Amino acid sequence: MGAYTVTSLLGCALVLVLELAWLRTGLLRRRTYWIGYAIVVFFQSLVDGWLTKLSAPIVIYDEGRFSGVRFPWDIPVEDFAFGWAMCTLALLLWERQHDPDDGDAEPEPDPAWRTLSRR
Amino acid sequence: MERFEYLLLLAGCLLGTLPLELLLGVRVWRRPARLARAVLPVTLAFAVWDVLAIRGRLWRYSDRYTTGWEVGLGLPVEELAFFLVIPVCGILSVEAVRVRLGRR
Repeated sequence: MGAYTVTSLLGCALVLVLELAWLRTGLLRRRTYWIGYAIVVFFQSLVDGWLTKLSAPIVIYDEGRFSGVRFPWDIPVEDFAFGWAMCTLALLLWERQHDPDDGDAEPEPDPAWRTLSRR
Repeated sequence: MERFEYLLLLAGCLLGTLPLELLLGVRVWRRPARLARAVLPVTLAFAVWDVLAIRGRLWRYSDRYTTGWEVGLGLPVEELAFFLVIPVCGILSVEAVRVRLGRR
């Protein structure tokens, strides 16, 4: 445990409270969000792995101020909480402004995709 | 060139997600006002968090791989760029899934 452990988890809690008490977008209950977020985490790992690699770090963490657990590669695990809070907050604010009449003319999805996306 | 490494990494993130908008038909960059209203509050909040974390010595940045340019209050320009670029990439990714699955 360290200051980063505590603050990154607090950040996540704050985003959750914002959604539940104020924004109420329902985004976190949607499958598209979680599938999308899995993709985000994959690419985050690549980028963050590069930023934190101990052989040539761009961001240098104080070893005593996070859990000390680095996974995958040399990424402090707290970065995933930090990243979740950051990206999810942006997605919630994006979703908050959704207007069904905003000209959201998307191409008709392929039948195969429609089958996959059935609730 | 080495000191531009962090900025180049972020440029790579922008370039890497651009095909989602240009080829997949995701409409995120094409809604600049909505995008700004989603991203800028996050940028501000996380920039403040970063300034506090730097002051609290939670982390620091390599002199070798960053430009040394600061926005103010000890915040590297790279970090400000990070808090602008990464939320946009996140929105593009989830929107891409939404477009492919054809629903909200």
